[in-house]
Amino acid sequence: MKRTKKEKTYLDSVHLWGRLWSIGALIALLMVPTAICAHFHAWPKFTEIMGPIGKVMLLNWTVAVVEVIAYTPLLGAGGTYLSFVTGNIVNLKLPCGLNAMAKADVKANTEEGEVVSTLAIGASAITTTLVIATGVLLLGPAVSVLKNNPVAKPAFAYVLPALFGALGAGYFRKNVAVSLLTIAVGCIVLLFAPSLGVGTLIFVTIITAIAGALGMFKLGWIK
Amino acid sequence: MTGNGDFKTGGFMYAVAIGIILVVVAESVFFMVKSWKRGKELGLSKETMKNTIFSSALFSIAPAVSILTTVIVLAGALGIVLPWIRLSVIGNLAYETTATKLTLESLDARLSLSTDITDPKTFGAVAWVMTIGTSFALVLLPIVCKTIQNKVGGALNKNEKTSRLGDIISAAAFIGIIAAFVCNAINGRQTKEALTIGDAGFMSVCTLVTAVVLSLILETLCEKKNLKKLEPFAMPISMFAAMGVAVVLNLALPEAVTAFTWWGNVA
Repeated sequence: MKRTKKEKTYLDSVHLWGRLWSIGALIALLMVPTAICAHFHAWPKFTEIMGPIGKVMLLNWTVAVVEVIAYTPLLGAGGTYLSFVTGNIVNLKLPCGLNAMAKADVKANTEEGEVVSTLAIGASAITTTLVIATGVLLLGPAVSVLKNNPVAKPAFAYVLPALFGALGAGYFRKNVAVSLLTIAVGCIVLLFAPSLGVGTLIFVTIITAIAGALGMFKLGWIK
Repeated sequence: MTGNGDFKTGGFMYAVAIGIILVVVAESVFFMVKSWKRGKELGLSKETMKNTIFSSALFSIAPAVSILTTVIVLAGALGIVLPWIRLSVIGNLAYETTATKLTLESLDARLSLSTDITDPKTFGAVAWVMTIGTSFALVLLPIVCKTIQNKVGGALNKNEKTSRLGDIISAAAFIGIIAAFVCNAINGRQTKEALTIGDAGFMSVCTLVTAVVLSLILETLCEKKNLKKLEPFAMPISMFAAMGVAVVLNLALPEAVTAFTWWGNVA
């Protein structure tokens, strides 16, 4: 579809402002650890954080490339710039944008879709921010009391199995074969190297899951 | 410098959080106003645009509660303000938890997500790893977003198989992240110097199984009974219920049972 001059101007303007906001948000984000370290006079040594930064970068930066390529066409320009600043794309912004476009009967990759998707994601981002802020202000004191309470201590000690069990169940159900393979490989690795940190194990499980999923896709086990 | 953990929830941290939240809200409002004006030019009705905003806001309330759950999870170690900042920008449930755990593991084997961090240097280190580790999309977008939207996006949309493959890789990567934590709860062991409460055993497996089973029951119930409103709450309900089961088991069962781990009882 050939775009009109006005459409080009609008989209160009969205990209221009999107770039400026992304750079601005990046600077604001980098100011957070900078301000924390400066205020508390507590700068960690670069060599101390180099290891974990490297691991997290390898993990998240690869996923970021896939996400930018996969979601940009679906979210539209404005929706993409907003989503990647506010986060929670897969579990919130993407379904929210797609749902709004379906309800308004407009398609992604059209100007109408661009407008509806941006309005939806903007509304979603503001709502999420307000809900989290309200929750934090209400729950903040309660969390401090609870985590120091001896009766409630096991709840916090086993918070990771609770979180990842609840979070993973849906994914495991929809991808049974890939999940079973990945968990089996992870557990076997831990049998021989039980003290392997999650930071190292995560690479084993991610590679297993992706290789397994690609193999199953080629074999036609996953459609 | 080592002290108590109060600095994590002091006025300074709240001021930083408010600053970041204002940036997020300002960007959202800016793009919404821009889109609204363009929508009017394109002939979209006010009602359609108002409905979009209203229904999207409603749609987001329940998932936001679920995101709040992660803030509470991370609050055990980091206080409530830094997780609040992180989960309001870019943040994601799995990535933020992974970044925190990796940093704590690397700095001190005794630290875990249930350890109250009292050293500002450790706190600062976690903040740096979270920020740098998850900010790449903001570097990438200004460079490639336009090209992707114009070229790659069109090609991906046309080629269904390529698009499906992207979804599969994305889901597999996520399963990989979750699986590492699940395996750690099944038969992982902390390093020798670490607190043995982190070792896998009776309690970790019971908590994990409770969370998985409850989540599956609630999801199935939502599907069968068409309970759309309950769906986004399935995850937080399952998580809190599993945490509750851990508390009840700890109170109800003898210590010999609750302290059992595959690697020897907790001292």
